[in-house]
Amino acid sequence: MEQITTSLAPRAATKPSVAGTGGDPAGSVTKRLSSELMTLMMSSSPGISAFPRSDANLFDWVGTIEGPAGTVYAGLKFKIAISFPSNYPMAPPAMKFESPCYHPNVDINGGGICLDILQDKWSAVYSVQTILLSLQSLLGEPNNASPLNPDAAAIWDTPEEFKVQLLKYYRPISDEASD
Amino acid sequence: MAANVLAKQVQNKWNNSFARLNRAEPGITGLLAFSEAWRIATDFLYPRDLNDPTPRKEYSMQEVRASFEFLSRAKMLPLLMENFLEDMRKQQHLIERDINEYMAEWEAADTPDFMARLIYRLEKWYKEWSPIPELGSILLSAYTLAFQTHLYSSFPPSFSRGFKQLIASSFSFVNAPCPPWALPPEPHPSLPPGPARQDVFLWSACESLGLLDRYESLIASVCYEYIEAHVMETCAKRWHESMLTCLRGWMTDRVVPWMVMPYARGARSADEARQMLQGVGSRFDYHMCKTLCDLRLQELFDIIIEYPDSMPALQDLKECLSRVDQRNELVKSLRRANRKRLLHPGADTNSIIDQYKNTMNALRFLDPPGVLLYKVADPIRRYLRERPDTIRSIVTYLVGDGEGGEGLGNENENEPIQPLQQRQADDYNDPNWEPEPIDAGPDFRTNKPTDVISTLVSIYDSKDLFVKELQVLLAQRLLAVTDGNYEKERRNIEILKVRFGEAALQVCEVMLRDMTDSRRIDQHIQAQKQMPLHPTIVSRHFWPPLQTSMFNMPGQFKEIQEAYAKEFHLFKPDKKLHWLPHLGTISLDIELQDRTVSAEVPPLEAAIIEHFSTKDTWDVADLATEMKIERAAALKAVLTWVDLGVLKEEDTGLYKLLEVAEEASSSSNPVARQAAMEDTSSVLTVQQQEQEQMKVYWKFIEGMLTNLGSLSLARIQSMLKLAPGYDRTIEQLADFMEAARREGHVTVRDGVWRLQQ
Repeated sequence: MEQITTSLAPRAATKPSVAGTGGDPAGSVTKRLSSELMTLMMSSSPGISAFPRSDANLFDWVGTIEGPAGTVYAGLKFKIAISFPSNYPMAPPAMKFESPCYHPNVDINGGGICLDILQDKWSAVYSVQTILLSLQSLLGEPNNASPLNPDAAAIWDTPEEFKVQLLKYYRPISDEASD
Repeated sequence: MAANVLAKQVQNKWNNSFARLNRAEPGITGLLAFSEAWRIATDFLYPRDLNDPTPRKEYSMQEVRASFEFLSRAKMLPLLMENFLEDMRKQQHLIERDINEYMAEWEAADTPDFMARLIYRLEKWYKEWSPIPELGSILLSAYTLAFQTHLYSSFPPSFSRGFKQLIASSFSFVNAPCPPWALPPEPHPSLPPGPARQDVFLWSACESLGLLDRYESLIASVCYEYIEAHVMETCAKRWHESMLTCLRGWMTDRVVPWMVMPYARGARSADEARQMLQGVGSRFDYHMCKTLCDLRLQELFDIIIEYPDSMPALQDLKECLSRVDQRNELVKSLRRANRKRLLHPGADTNSIIDQYKNTMNALRFLDPPGVLLYKVADPIRRYLRERPDTIRSIVTYLVGDGEGGEGLGNENENEPIQPLQQRQADDYNDPNWEPEPIDAGPDFRTNKPTDVISTLVSIYDSKDLFVKELQVLLAQRLLAVTDGNYEKERRNIEILKVRFGEAALQVCEVMLRDMTDSRRIDQHIQAQKQMPLHPTIVSRHFWPPLQTSMFNMPGQFKEIQEAYAKEFHLFKPDKKLHWLPHLGTISLDIELQDRTVSAEVPPLEAAIIEHFSTKDTWDVADLATEMKIERAAALKAVLTWVDLGVLKEEDTGLYKLLEVAEEASSSSNPVARQAAMEDTSSVLTVQQQEQEQMKVYWKFIEGMLTNLGSLSLARIQSMLKLAPGYDRTIEQLADFMEAARREGHVTVRDGVWRLQQ
């Protein structure tokens, strides 16, 4: 995860100038983020949700993903930390699982995610909502070709065994107040 | 030795006394003469029983005078006086007996004539026993004092009540001849017969008995009561004429002549009488003002209701208030009346505003600086602020076609329209500056006399609320105009612009222009292609949200809409029409086998009947699903057609088209018809808009609780700042969260909210 974000940063930093977003980047980013928040709140996509951690910092969000029905993740909930760069949406947000997620493309220790649209396939037309939806579908359809968690990739095809491992690591979202 | 001295002294004294009485007459002849004189004098003075039938002994006045002279020379007059007073005391029981007798009669009859008779009787006693004036004023005044003392001590407690009754009845003697009982029983010796005022006898009798001084306060209270009764009787509920002048006239006609008797008896000339009456007269005048003032204060609430017809009453009150300081009382009683009669849930907001308006005018008249108004109006304003429909009422009042018919037009005929006035700090450079009135409270603010509308608007801290409500109202009114005559609305907006400022009404301006533009566009499109559709095209951003509906017009309606939209797009390529199909009306001719039904109906009804052109029988539930509307709405529309005799209920929920008319039997159900005709307004009210907004905020709350776990109310409130346009107070949020809790969406523990799992 760390290497992903760091490798992303320099490239992303060049993008705004390329795209020509001059003026007041922070102001326009805030605007974009609040409009994304509004869209996300008003669209009722089942199983995904996100919200800024505090009203003081719009660049730091917490997201929640429910495992899609019909997969081993069904009924489980995962917390995701989303951190937006100052040049968003020219660069993708940095995302990682806060709750341990046993998944071929997720680092079980750091929570880093291997998803192409969070890296080189990122485009400014994506939004928090699309990312979360992609993540949700990634849970059911991992990319076993480039695993961050080789063990998980290895046993993906035996759901029973996978489920045992998954539940071993899984911690339900505790409701301890975040304030 | 000692005895000797004592004996000598006694002898000396005896000799002196003897010498005084005998006065150097030879032998004891002087003494004899003295005893004769004493006998005559005491016998003459002896208080006799009036009821004693034996004729009175005739005295030769010369003899009597001589005896008094003799006694006086012997310096025995003081002793004589003492003796006389002692005799009086012994005879007192005779008077007492008479008093008791008369009082008993009075108590039985309870009419003042027995009191009058008692007074005359007592006067007779007094005269009977009175020593002749030649004996000197000392004896006379000693006698009067002793007589009155005895008299008062023998009055029973009921006497003062009876006396009061007598005095009260004396008012009627002023202009009318006295009844016989009020006249003395026998011709009065000391007065010439037939004086101008017959009650003078009664008053002089009272005076000689000293009753006037003793019962002065009682007499005054009788007069007070007399005045009060008159004021109550003549002035209560008469607000349409000035009563004060008429009351003053009454005082001059009735009370002053009466006053002459008890208060100006000794006056020798008119001027003297006037002087004597001045003090007491102004006391009575004050009392009259106070009574009227109290009465008007009690009635003030109703007087204000009648304003401006009750102006004369206010004029009176103003004058009285300047004489009698009842300002505090006014504030108290009016506030009480307002609380009891106005500021309760049963009162219509419009009535409250009307009354407030009248209160403003009335109290401004009474007290131009506005202190009274400020004190009275405060609770009204606070109450109005809490009412949910106040703004709408005020705005309706502003635009003015309420039932009262008092709109901007009427209000402004006599006063120029002014911009809304803001509070201003005191300008100390103003040469006309005046300090605040003495009874102004600490939070009183000198407000220059403002017009009614400014005051009403100032109930709220901001005028934005009004502008918002104004938009809603304007939208409703504009959409209701069918003949294309927007002059009235234009005029209203122009007037409101002066009040609220140009910028605030910009939106209204756009709305108005939309209406005229719609007509212009429609004319243009109709010129291109004749169409039976005449839409009103509104700019969504400038109009308050309109009721939305999901259903689409079926069949031919849809075709017409599409054709129109195409033409519109040609005319205005950068704009797109978004139909609100459920608004407006449609004139239909329905051709059936045997008849043609013409009707003007809402679009929903038209859509329903269009469905029947494809299929004869429909289930309401199917119709509802087909059109994506609620079943109740569909049923309502269907019932309209049932009433018009086009549809008929075959089975429960199953309706059939009547190609051939049936006998108009009991099929038309007036109740259902009425229900169907009750149309809801097409524009969302501000309240509905708020509810809509709250739905948006709920999404945010849901979102933050999902992701952040549990949050305190304060935290939710601050996080909601992320939601665009969030402007609720934390109290409103608390109410909302409480409502959400009741509906089972959230739970709360220790002040921390979380989503219900």
